[in-house]
Amino acid sequence: MKSFVGMFAGPVVAAALASLPLAAGAADGDLVNPYAGREDVVEEGGSLLNQYCSHCHGPWAVQGERPRDLRRLNLRYGDYAMSTFYTTVQEGRPPKGMPPWKGILDDEIVWKIYTFLQTVQVED
Amino acid sequence: MTMKRVSHVALTAIVGAVLATASSAGIAQKGQWLHYGGNDYSNNRFSDLTQINADNVHKLKVAWIHSLGTLESQESTPLVVGDTMYVTSSTGPRYVFALDARTGKTKWVHQPEMPNDFFATVCCGLDNRGVAYANGKVFFGRLDAKLVALDANTGRRLWTVTVENYRNGHAITSPPLVYKNLVVTGIAGGEYGIRGFVAAYDQDTGEQVWKTYTIPGPGEPGNETWRGDTWKTGAASTWGVGSYDPKLNTVYWATSNAGPWGGHERSIDSSDFYPYTNLWTASQLAFDADTGEIKWGYQYTPNDVWDYDGINEAVLHDLRIGGRTVPVLMHADRNGFFYVLNRQTGKLISADPFVTVNWATHVDLKTGRPVEAANNEKRPQLGKWARNVCPNLIGGKNWSPMSYNPNTGLVYLPAFNMCMDIANKEEEYTPGRFYLASEFDLSKAGATGEHLAMMMAWDPIKKKEVWSIKEPLMFASGAMSTAGNLLFYGNVEGTLKAVNARSGKVLWEFDVGTGILQSPITYTVGGKQYLAVVAGRVKGPPSFFGQIGQRVIDASPEGGVLVVFSL
Repeated sequence: MKSFVGMFAGPVVAAALASLPLAAGAADGDLVNPYAGREDVVEEGGSLLNQYCSHCHGPWAVQGERPRDLRRLNLRYGDYAMSTFYTTVQEGRPPKGMPPWKGILDDEIVWKIYTFLQTVQVED
Repeated sequence: MTMKRVSHVALTAIVGAVLATASSAGIAQKGQWLHYGGNDYSNNRFSDLTQINADNVHKLKVAWIHSLGTLESQESTPLVVGDTMYVTSSTGPRYVFALDARTGKTKWVHQPEMPNDFFATVCCGLDNRGVAYANGKVFFGRLDAKLVALDANTGRRLWTVTVENYRNGHAITSPPLVYKNLVVTGIAGGEYGIRGFVAAYDQDTGEQVWKTYTIPGPGEPGNETWRGDTWKTGAASTWGVGSYDPKLNTVYWATSNAGPWGGHERSIDSSDFYPYTNLWTASQLAFDADTGEIKWGYQYTPNDVWDYDGINEAVLHDLRIGGRTVPVLMHADRNGFFYVLNRQTGKLISADPFVTVNWATHVDLKTGRPVEAANNEKRPQLGKWARNVCPNLIGGKNWSPMSYNPNTGLVYLPAFNMCMDIANKEEEYTPGRFYLASEFDLSKAGATGEHLAMMMAWDPIKKKEVWSIKEPLMFASGAMSTAGNLLFYGNVEGTLKAVNARSGKVLWEFDVGTGILQSPITYTVGGKQYLAVVAGRVKGPPSFFGQIGQRVIDASPEGGVLVVFSL
């Protein structure tokens, strides 16, 4: 039993940490970006980001504050980038200045923005 | 339900206090720094001290340093009352410090107990611009829209009142105005669809004495300048500071942009929008100091769609114009025009571009109205971009205050050289969320070269620039000038500069290590003159500016430090 728990404790803890303040356990596998790979929504997604997010995250996600740099989603959150993004948009991080957008921004808008963001991710 | 614009509560209580304090109101308290905008109520940020002057300023050395304990944009103006300095840190404020003005030694510290979710309903950084002092009490507003009174000797909290609900976008960023027995505050929230107001409280009890909405309700004059119910979310916030003329018994406060920025719902989506001017957004207002009643208003930018937020300070002075001494109010607006108004009547005297302006060709001095560029070329409309609009929405000048020096007759103002593209978009109002209905690209240098900012000397009577110092990056700090023929200001790289106030020659520089936004101050304690600067690089607004914002953030690390100099 002990070794069984040990086997799984690592990955589970890592997932919870990486995806804070997300509901623990939700993984990217549970989510589907309906626009994944759709080049035709990239510009619209960027424009929506400009309208709703750019005041903190910069137009086209370009700005200088590292902690809120959305071009670093994949670099920072790795396999949990999509779920971290989605959950943070839904629930917000009010003490860090991110308001919750659940019930305000439709999933369609959120995923279009995510689709745009995937085109501007940086390696380092 | 009709909302009362002016409520009179406990008005009679004022009268006694008026008599008690009227004598102290007019006396310049030499050597101190008693108000946000200087030693009197005029917001001139001028000091008549001369011990530090153009001949010896190069000998300035650090006397003491105090850490402000936070890293968000530092925008506080310290006050010096007697031998005590009162200064706040950013983030709400996190701290209010009372320091020995000679040594920096801490006398007391107040840490407000605040929720942390207000972070999500503050548009432009977690700032605080300082406290007000009167009658042994220190007053300040907080980002959770509360107003607080402390005992100035002990830091003990005397009262706290909720001015408004922070969760739907209200906040207080600037210190209140104090006179007679009143403490008067404005409110922020112009990006959240609030309805702006100015409210006065009793200094002793915190009881509200009057509250005047800046947007008239149904049945009040001016409500007809709004379409439908849009006045309810029309902004006209009052996040800047007030000025006060004791002789005219008048308080001056200016108002923000209209909300949302996109104007297609609240007005008509074209330059041909009259009568839908959206009063009193982007306007100068004059209030009766005792009742809060609006004496007059002048709208700087009717049906604003550029975020030409009008809150910049009103500097009061009596100027010789055309052989007459005129009580004026000077205001450098975000819309790029430098205004001189008769502060008694509200009549426009002059309005002249101090930076590149192309959204309007000029201001018609007869009607007082700006004449917009033809064919809606520079007016964003629903789904239609206006390209290369100057100034940028950061303005010809932003909140960082200017200084008027009566010795040189010049205004020293931190200006921006930037333009933008902007379009209106559809958007629903949601309480507590950004309500802009706008998309923009602000990453554009202005028409007069690659520099993004400058410190400019402006002659308000000849209505022209006398000299200017170019700054490569945006955000030149507020200005402070002295009778020692000096101008002091800083930049986003963290360079504090002393400048010959007449010639514009830089006489001394000091690197404080992090960007400067607020103007320095000066004071005398124990016969010695000190210079104090609060530094801590701008953190929120650069995010709007893309690549340029990235350069601003990279220019210096964030910080929070108070540096005091003496000879």
